[in-house]
Amino acid sequence: MEQQNNMGIAGRLAAVVIAIVIMLAFYYGLNHLVMGMQGLPLNLDLTPAG
Amino acid sequence: MKQTEFIRRLDVSRLTAMLFPLLVLLVFGLVDAAQADVGMGNAQERITPIGEVRLQGQPPVEIAAKPAAIQEQEVELRAAPRPSRADYPDIGVSSRAIVWVLGQMHLFFGALVLAVPLFVLLIELVGVYTRDDRYDDMAHEFMKISLIGFSITAIFGGSLALALFLLYPDLMAYLMHVFGSQWLVYAGLFFFESFFLYVYYYGWNALRYGNLKWVHLTLGLLLNASGLTIMVMANSWATFMMAPSGVNEVGAVVGNIWEVMKGPLWNPINLHRFIANIAFGGAVVGAYAAFKFLSAKDPVKRAHYDWMGYTSNFIAILAFLPLPFAGYWLMAEIYAYSQQMGITAMGGILAWLFIVQAVLIGTILLAGNFYLWSGMSRTDGSERYKGLIKVIALVLVVCFLIWVTPHTLILSASEISLLGGSHHHILGPLGIMPAKNIAVNLMLIATFLSFQLYRRSDKVATVSWAPMGNALMIAVYIGAVVNIIFLGVYYGYFTNTVYKVGSSVAQVVTTLLVIVFGLVIDALMFKKAKVLPSHWGRIPDRAQYALFALPIAFTWLMALMGYVRSSVKTHWHVYTVMKDNSPDNFIPAIGYAGNMITLVTVLFLLCVLFMFWVANLSGSKQRKPETALAGGEA
Amino acid sequence: MSVLAKTLGFSLGLTLLFTLVTYLLPQIKGEAPVDKKVDLGSLTMESFIVLGDEIFHNKGTCTLCHQPAPLGRAPDIAGEDMVALANKHLADERYQGDAKNAEEYIRESLIHPGKYVVAGWGKKGSNDTESPMPGVDKPPIQLTPVEIDAVIAWLQAKDGGEVTVPLPAVEAAAEAASTATTGDSGKAPAPAATAEEALAKYACASCHAMDSNDALVGPGLVDIGSRLSKEQLRQSIVDPNAVVAEGFPPAMPLDFASRMTVSELEMIVNYLAEKK
Repeated sequence: MEQQNNMGIAGRLAAVVIAIVIMLAFYYGLNHLVMGMQGLPLNLDLTPAG
Repeated sequence: MKQTEFIRRLDVSRLTAMLFPLLVLLVFGLVDAAQADVGMGNAQERITPIGEVRLQGQPPVEIAAKPAAIQEQEVELRAAPRPSRADYPDIGVSSRAIVWVLGQMHLFFGALVLAVPLFVLLIELVGVYTRDDRYDDMAHEFMKISLIGFSITAIFGGSLALALFLLYPDLMAYLMHVFGSQWLVYAGLFFFESFFLYVYYYGWNALRYGNLKWVHLTLGLLLNASGLTIMVMANSWATFMMAPSGVNEVGAVVGNIWEVMKGPLWNPINLHRFIANIAFGGAVVGAYAAFKFLSAKDPVKRAHYDWMGYTSNFIAILAFLPLPFAGYWLMAEIYAYSQQMGITAMGGILAWLFIVQAVLIGTILLAGNFYLWSGMSRTDGSERYKGLIKVIALVLVVCFLIWVTPHTLILSASEISLLGGSHHHILGPLGIMPAKNIAVNLMLIATFLSFQLYRRSDKVATVSWAPMGNALMIAVYIGAVVNIIFLGVYYGYFTNTVYKVGSSVAQVVTTLLVIVFGLVIDALMFKKAKVLPSHWGRIPDRAQYALFALPIAFTWLMALMGYVRSSVKTHWHVYTVMKDNSPDNFIPAIGYAGNMITLVTVLFLLCVLFMFWVANLSGSKQRKPETALAGGEA
Repeated sequence: MSVLAKTLGFSLGLTLLFTLVTYLLPQIKGEAPVDKKVDLGSLTMESFIVLGDEIFHNKGTCTLCHQPAPLGRAPDIAGEDMVALANKHLADERYQGDAKNAEEYIRESLIHPGKYVVAGWGKKGSNDTESPMPGVDKPPIQLTPVEIDAVIAWLQAKDGGEVTVPLPAVEAAAEAASTATTGDSGKAPAPAATAEEALAKYACASCHAMDSNDALVGPGLVDIGSRLSKEQLRQSIVDPNAVVAEGFPPAMPLDFASRMTVSELEMIVNYLAEKK
């Protein structure tokens, strides 16, 4: 718990927001990968391709 | 001196341990050879060299002999029997009801005694690595309380076989013909299982430390191996009846025994039953621990049974989490095998049952979560998570309600007019599959979060990157929830069917990834964590009732889904091959099925009580009567 | 209260709760389809007519096309007096068949629908010389002679006409009518082995021209492979109303998904995809 106090509230919030952005990008790639593996390619905006 | 004695003893046990797999192989080989020797195919080959015998003066009707394959087929082809209603013995009681009860009881106990040795072996292994005797004692106790379950399984199995041969002679004759010598192997495996079981259990203290422990573990492994082989063999009969393979369209055997066994549904059922057995076994022994906890007054005993109950719940819930995915695979394979069968199960008459299933699974998840939350009172570090728990509870309840909203059902005309359309105008969008997929995945994620919070509640991370790790963990959860809802709503409602189905795979992968991330991050983050003291036994009594709710719901659920699995065959004994012409060839109404399921659940409950009672009997000792003692001294 | 009583009570209560849920749901039984054996001893003309009615609406699949306008893709049989109509058609100079009376006319149009095509209902482009209707004695409908008689009896009786069809004789007998009571869970016919067999089994050609682009009920399929991808083909069969070809009614049967086996569907899709 002491460690968590090293960073201020603002710092921790920023870390969480950055992490969320990273994870959303990760899930975006995952969706492309999983749908692509099933032969259902997506366009960049995640609409069905073709 | 002592050393050599030890080595000699060790060698003998090792030798036996090693010889048994060989023996198993030998028996398999012998049966195979015997089959080849008496097989019709070989007889045909032996006759062929005599050559053609023709009547003098008659023109040769057919000079070229038929290819061997065709000849062989003609000899062996024996279509499935077509019994008429009069061919089914009538003993005045519904034959199906008798077989239903006996079969389900056999399956309950079979599942229990297959699962318990499996996690007992794992707990024993944990004990070896942690050098903590408590694990070993607990594993031994689990074994003790399920020991007579093996006899009960055998008793119900024997009764079931007798009942089947008596009440469904034609079906059984056909199955005996199809599976042939596999039955002998099956029976033979029981000898091995009994042998390993008794040596494993009674040899527990004799083979407790050092190298002998490894002999004991090997015995446990062999016990599990024979048990699992028995299970997959029995599964092949069930899957053959659902999706026959290795036979032609009239049911005549055209493939070898392997082709008959390896039907399209065999492996999905194997996996599904394997996982479900573990969850079921964990839940049942958890009830034992809860009962002992509630009856014990001694704090040491309470601590022990609290810990035992916690471990059981841990096993049950952990095995339960991947179960929906195994079920998904099974259902997909059923659809691939026969659209009609899939629609019968999910959209036809049986579809209502999935509402009951949702109620049961909801009960299991809520009970499991409630137990975890209550268990947090064992540690002082759990205060941090109080607020989050309320959110989890809310998510679980909302998802549960979405899940039980019915949709894809065949409605009668009057029901449609009552609803004002085939879908409810407000709840309709919540009733369709994408909404349910979202709900199920969110419930699983919420349950895993409870689990993770519980695991964290007695630890404080000391690694320097802990805030980063936590931020990442939060992001994993939030991202996953967003992604699952996005996939469900966007592809489920705004694109076509193919994408709808495809996106549910992505949802499942997301859920699984959350679990993987959670386990990996926590393993790294709490490697050298400061551990706060845990107070085993410090848990409210009401939490123990969750440990009773789990096995009851599991038992009921198992009976229910077994009924669905068996009913998708509709009016067939062996789907598309052998028709069921018995008086019971219809799918009964749900209420009737509910009665049957409750009947078997209560019967199982009573048998389990008996099993626990007998297990405790061995621990109690009658005191020598005072009078005799006094007389002796005088 | 002892621990045993409390825990047992809790467990039993929970069990009963689950049982209660099953009581709240609709109580439906799934009856197995029965092969209907026509008992000649007790068969009355009345029950024979009822049988015909049932065949018309279920096994015969007649109502897929014969519906009142605007849904219908063929004359509205149920809504018109068929005996009067038959006599009118017999008197038409376009009539080329061999029928002498209404009963013979109806039987002829069931088995050889092309003998007389009602004006405006012929295959598109055939100028009413070809009928889009499949013969009912052929697969996939495959009515037996007794069943065809029953349908005729119903058609004659429904508007109060005189029934001229005789009740089935002993030799034509009994076996016949296997009218599945539950169309859904009924028998599973043997799956087709080739794409051609599958196309015949599901009578695709009764609405689609296979070797031309002529529009019948549905579009011609001679070069369908160049117009649609495999995924689109599959979707058009399984979920025909998702995309309906321009200028055509949404007329394709919706139940192929439940009737076709997966391999049949794949064979048909592959076969059609090759047609370029």
